[in-house]
Amino acid sequence: MKSLAMKNLSGRPVRTAVLVILAALLTFTALGGTLTVASLGKGLDSLEARLGADVMVVPKEATMKKKFEDIVLQGSTGYFYMDSSRAEEVMECEGVGEVSPQFFLASTGSSCCSIPVQIIGFDPATDFTVSPWIKRTYGGELGLYDIVAGSDLNAFVGDKLSFYGVECTVAAKLEKTGTSYDTTVFTNEQTIKALIQSSLDKGMNDFKDIDPARSVSCLMINAADGTSPEELVNDINIHVKKVKAYRSGDMINGIAGSLGGVSQMIKLLIAAVWVLGIVILLLAFTMSVNERKKEFAVLRVMGASRSKLAGLVLKEALMTCLIGSAAGAVIGLLILIPFNGVIEQTLSLPFLLPEAGSIAGITAAAVVLSVLTGAAAAAVSAWRVSRIDTGVILRGDN
Amino acid sequence: MKRSGKEWIFGILLLICSLCMSAGVKLVFHACGPKEDGSFMTCHWAEQAVFTLGCVMAAVSVLILIMPDSGMRRGLALAMIPAGAGAALIPNTMIKLCMMTDMHCHAVMKPAVIIIGAVSAVLGLIYAAVCKSERSA
Repeated sequence: MKSLAMKNLSGRPVRTAVLVILAALLTFTALGGTLTVASLGKGLDSLEARLGADVMVVPKEATMKKKFEDIVLQGSTGYFYMDSSRAEEVMECEGVGEVSPQFFLASTGSSCCSIPVQIIGFDPATDFTVSPWIKRTYGGELGLYDIVAGSDLNAFVGDKLSFYGVECTVAAKLEKTGTSYDTTVFTNEQTIKALIQSSLDKGMNDFKDIDPARSVSCLMINAADGTSPEELVNDINIHVKKVKAYRSGDMINGIAGSLGGVSQMIKLLIAAVWVLGIVILLLAFTMSVNERKKEFAVLRVMGASRSKLAGLVLKEALMTCLIGSAAGAVIGLLILIPFNGVIEQTLSLPFLLPEAGSIAGITAAAVVLSVLTGAAAAAVSAWRVSRIDTGVILRGDN
Repeated sequence: MKRSGKEWIFGILLLICSLCMSAGVKLVFHACGPKEDGSFMTCHWAEQAVFTLGCVMAAVSVLILIMPDSGMRRGLALAMIPAGAGAALIPNTMIKLCMMTDMHCHAVMKPAVIIIGAVSAVLGLIYAAVCKSERSA
């Protein structure tokens, strides 16, 4: 019976190919859609963790910049500074817990590329947002001119990178975060100040009336116990002039909204393709059984039981769906995994692929779901085959 | 000896893959463009190397399709294995690409060349196996 199912499939290559393509499409849609939605969700989680502070305080003029949110959240290169006296005023506000300053600097195109890199300097003594990520790959202290490269930078531990003529050594490389951290270079306060000074010496930076030695780009703040981030934001915005405080959660609301819209659209697309696919599979199996009624009647006359005929139809369906699903899964993985960078750029949203185990689980689930759907669609036809009246069919009355 | 339908199919697939490699790397999954000063980044030279290897693979694929001797065809198909694998290794392994992996050379050229190179190598292996089984039959 097994070889008969194989012969039936190879004997009708066009029908088999159509069913295989349909099963492949179902698996591809389920796998691609689910992986994309999961990656977007993981990217947003990573972005929330990456902000890592309850409140972010930036100079007010920075918020007028068109690229402000892109600089802070999407890793676009850019910089803004405020005098550290304003930072000290913020620190004196009631309800301020942990505080750490950060310094932004955009490199010019380095020797290998025309694309500039965002450099973020942090104070290792007070930092609580960047250090947890760095500690995952590097346990040591960053020395002068040591840098940590984001995972999307094609630089490895020990490599030398030159910024504004200052040669820096890559001390560590961050794990993939799916956020702007992946294309950023991190370094300590002394190194970034040296880089800023070098950029000034070369006339490539303009601090206007701010003293570079007494400047910070932003303050990352955690609210003290008993103070809510909302209260702290209001307090800073009311009492400290020329700065703007943001609650981290509010900053990613826009991204979360876009992400929700994209996820919803993908889920609708998956549902549409599946409904269409199931209808086509049902029709295909029904038509196939109808045109093969005489073949099944002959098999019955030759001694095949009703259950064997039903089993034959199911076996054919399972074999086509399994081959199609496997092909769909392979194609889906070959597109999603190597080209995830292109998908991330196209969507312009945080995108972080799940771990290998989760990807394997989603793939297996998509294949099983597709095969079961095919089997369920064929089960109706198998039931009809098991109930055919051999005499009527062979007489040609049906 | 007359060649089988399977040989024709795999031969044509090899030619398609080779043409995808050579034309695609220039037209579709190309490297990053030149810098503002007109100079090229390193990924440009990886693109040139892949293009050259793609042209060689296309020439070998044409030879596979026109060679009358099955032994020669098999030998040429086997040569596609290191050629495909070599092409797959060019972006970033043999020739470094740009600094940021979200740039076009990393995000598009590298995965596309690796996939097409690997598929070409596998097709070359299948062709050689099909050719051998036809010969022994």
